[in-house]
Amino acid sequence: MAILFHQHPVVAVDALPESAFASSIVPFLEDYCVSCHGTDSAEGQVVLDRFTTSANVQTEYELWEKIVRLVNEHQMPPVEESQPTTEEVLAVTSAIEAELAAFDCSSDKHPGRVTIRRLNKAEYNNTIRDLVGLDLKLADDFPSDDVGNGFDNMGDVLSIPPVLMEKYLSAAITIGERVYADEATRQRVFPHSAKSDDERVEVARQNVREFAGRAYRRPITSAEEDRLFAIMFSAWGQDADEAEIYQTVIAAVLSNPNFLFRVEQDPTVDDGDGIRELDDYELASRLSYFLWSSMPDARLFELASQGSLQNPEVRIAEAMRMLADPRGRGLVDNFAGQWLQLRDVSTLQPDPQKFPEFDDELRFAMRRETEVFFETMIREDRSILEFLTADFTYVNERLARHYGMDDVAGDEFRRVSLAAGRRGVLTHASILMLTSNPTRTSPVKRGKWILDNMLAEPPPPPPPNVPELEEGAETLGSLREQMEQHRSNPSCAVCHTTMDALGFGLERFDAIGALRERDGRYEIDASGELPGGRKFDGAAELMVILGEEKKRQFSECMAKKMLTYALGRGLVSHDRCTINDAVTKLAGNDYRFSSLVAAIVTSDPFTMRELKRDP
Amino acid sequence: MSIQTSRHTRRTILRGLGVSLALPWMESLAPRATAATLSAASASPQRMAFMFVPNGVHLPDWTPQTEGYGYDLPHILSPLAPVQDDVTVISGLTHDKGRGNGDGPGDHARSASVFLTGAQPRKTEGSDIRSGVSVDQVAAQHAGHATRFASLELGCEPGRSAGGCDSGYSCAYSSNMSWSSESTPLGKETNPLFVFERLFGDRPDGAVRDKNALRREALRKSVLDYISDDARRLQSQLGKGDRQKLDEYLGGVRDVERRIERTDDEPKVSVDVNYPIPKGTPDDYAEHIRLMCDMMVLAFQTDRTRIATFMLADAGSNRSYRHINVADGHHDLSHHGGNAAKHAKIREINRFHVTQLSYFLQRLKSTPDGEGSLLDNSMICYGSGLSDGDRHNNENLPIVLAGGGGGTVDQGRHIRVSAETPMCNLFMSMLDRFGTPVDFIGDSTGRLSGLRA
Repeated sequence: MAILFHQHPVVAVDALPESAFASSIVPFLEDYCVSCHGTDSAEGQVVLDRFTTSANVQTEYELWEKIVRLVNEHQMPPVEESQPTTEEVLAVTSAIEAELAAFDCSSDKHPGRVTIRRLNKAEYNNTIRDLVGLDLKLADDFPSDDVGNGFDNMGDVLSIPPVLMEKYLSAAITIGERVYADEATRQRVFPHSAKSDDERVEVARQNVREFAGRAYRRPITSAEEDRLFAIMFSAWGQDADEAEIYQTVIAAVLSNPNFLFRVEQDPTVDDGDGIRELDDYELASRLSYFLWSSMPDARLFELASQGSLQNPEVRIAEAMRMLADPRGRGLVDNFAGQWLQLRDVSTLQPDPQKFPEFDDELRFAMRRETEVFFETMIREDRSILEFLTADFTYVNERLARHYGMDDVAGDEFRRVSLAAGRRGVLTHASILMLTSNPTRTSPVKRGKWILDNMLAEPPPPPPPNVPELEEGAETLGSLREQMEQHRSNPSCAVCHTTMDALGFGLERFDAIGALRERDGRYEIDASGELPGGRKFDGAAELMVILGEEKKRQFSECMAKKMLTYALGRGLVSHDRCTINDAVTKLAGNDYRFSSLVAAIVTSDPFTMRELKRDP
Repeated sequence: MSIQTSRHTRRTILRGLGVSLALPWMESLAPRATAATLSAASASPQRMAFMFVPNGVHLPDWTPQTEGYGYDLPHILSPLAPVQDDVTVISGLTHDKGRGNGDGPGDHARSASVFLTGAQPRKTEGSDIRSGVSVDQVAAQHAGHATRFASLELGCEPGRSAGGCDSGYSCAYSSNMSWSSESTPLGKETNPLFVFERLFGDRPDGAVRDKNALRREALRKSVLDYISDDARRLQSQLGKGDRQKLDEYLGGVRDVERRIERTDDEPKVSVDVNYPIPKGTPDDYAEHIRLMCDMMVLAFQTDRTRIATFMLADAGSNRSYRHINVADGHHDLSHHGGNAAKHAKIREINRFHVTQLSYFLQRLKSTPDGEGSLLDNSMICYGSGLSDGDRHNNENLPIVLAGGGGGTVDQGRHIRVSAETPMCNLFMSMLDRFGTPVDFIGDSTGRLSGLRA
């Protein structure tokens, strides 16, 4: 079961006192649930009237998570039964969340299990680059990798359709040819050469052993070596020349499942509780694919061979080294590119009639701005809260013009103070554009995007039978007036109050992120009020408030996104322990980027593996 | 409209570099894989293709007023006029498993994953994705061995590269419609150049192979033996979920092995087909769709495969159609809220897609095959997994079936089936005609009786 966390902010960390459980949760169960899920008629074997004084989260958390999800999504109670109000739904789900938040993480470990992962396109390209020293980008021609949980490195989602296997094979053959097309590359890949005929067999074995070991990201077994050598021997027997013999081995290694998949062994009966600690080579790959989207380098292999990566301090030190390395670009391209959805900037098509100034140069500059900003966060180890509140950014001439700044000339990006009215990445043109429609802004889309991707408070789906809001028809009044009508429906208001306030705070930026004062014939009103009463006018004030009041939510959100990406699987119940720990470490270290990475590389899910339980 | 422009572009391209493709299939050698009872009239093999469009259609401008032969062509279907006698519009089919059925929102993701499977997708963002085996893959698994490629999966959009797709469903559900097993979506090819290279690039037909080429092939076969051996060894050490991934790997290797063997003993001579090598993915969307249609025509014509699926756009696509003066995002528009101006734009998008379908059907019709045309020996199923984009409903889906099915389908009619008839019943009837009958697929309850007048 992959139900995680909550749909609403967790307010309390302590469980409700028993009386609170009895007063805030039990009545809801009695009113809406136990007539079907009671001792007398336990539909789906779910019995809820046995909970009278406590939720027993320690043993029953999965049931409660399921209840939260089903109630939130309006799946339960079924439509033909009497329905709770939206307020009642929110009240009971946040009360259950408070119970779940009190889960005791010290009781037992559940690091979870990652399905065997094939390399995705980015990882394949980078791995080949680092393995043979040729930046061939052959995976650009592979079919795209499907996205799950917001990222394209999810083991369960990455499949191998036949067309991909064909591409793997032809890429492996091409790489062999390219390695042999260039003497320097050949020597890098197979560095050993025989000084006499007597040595030839041993040298060939050594070359193959080392190459396959790097490709499989672990020492190969002697049986594997023998079998690889047997292929060479058979090629030799068919009159193949040396180049052809080695190319055959390259093809056999690079189309091999041990190369294409990141293999981790399951725990065996000898591992207590069905959990095993990953070995050093598995850890080296976890680190390198997390931070570089590529294979481990010589130093990681060296540390692995010494057994040093079991030491958390060594892992943290290595992670810091890796973030500073140029290969750390992998984290920007793939983590930031997907968390902040910067990849979408490359494909969006704003309406050229409404936005004639938009061109590919601007498109590129938009994406690059946010990437350079993210790189700066890593390099200067800044507080992650600056994603919300930074008062600086990076622009080149084209983007500066878009932002209405003078005095910036040339293509290279440089650090500047943000123009008035802007703060943090949510006011970058990239994110303002990718949260808009091709012809116009969508405050709802922007508000929802912030809740989903920055605050870990994804709003529940709209209740059934509520008409979709028709934004943008001018005859109906300004967008804001229309939204206010929409919110007059109380079941909409509960969620839209926050969502719309966030979105309207950004209304002074159009669908490609340029500043504007009017939307059609309406003057922009970018003021608003957040639940709790904080008032703001415009994005800059809004971001400052978020940076002050949403530290925990933002930290939790980024930790969840990064842990998902680092593990290659969706988060499950026990991962809340890792998230809580990461949030605590961030708060204790001025929210520095490095403390989040350190928390992840020392966490149980990152360093251990558990037998899969039956769903 | 931009059709004229695209035609012009096409002619320009046709003057470009061409290659000769031999047709390996000859009438005298035609394998009789088709069901004798249904396709006695045809000596040619049957082909089938499935085409998907997202976000439903504007039904009032889709559904013909009259039933039976000589039906009227509403605005959206009007581009089909040149091939109307080869097209049957089927009203009333339903994909019940595209409905929430207790899984809540996510209609777009479901509309694609259910379209050819008739199976309720498991609602999951990333773990244990599950749908069902799609109709094209049922056919491919039964009859795909007859051709070099069991099937082709094509599309115009490469799937989302970040973020979420639809309400808790992994993007795998939105960007694929062919599933070879309940857990294996088949990624689609979106670049016509790569499709072309895959179909025709491996070895010039009839080329004489010298000793070196033979040795290279022998070495490649030894690599295949080696990696399948390694995969099986690895598989034996892994847990259940991981073993299944190795199954996918091994299936891929077997496919390649089979292809090498087939290429060795395929007949090598026949008619030459001239076609320019595509240059890659064109910027023009109409051109892109048409190139993909050409790839299907070529693949059918040269018998590289007999089965294809083609997603003109992914589920929930918010693509802008400004080449037909609709700048708004398609998904955004499809939530029209009854607004007439939006209806007007939606039906232009729908009509644009049908214009491309018409191009494809005309290409098939003008390509000789056996004693008739490729279209005579094909079944082309086109439609959306949603009925109305605003209501997100799954009954009364917009569906057309084109092509004679080797003389087994009486074309040129508008037929209306009874309410809630499963779309899978149409698939059952198609599989019968394809020579690959099954007892059920998805939520089928029987066969569609109306394909014969």
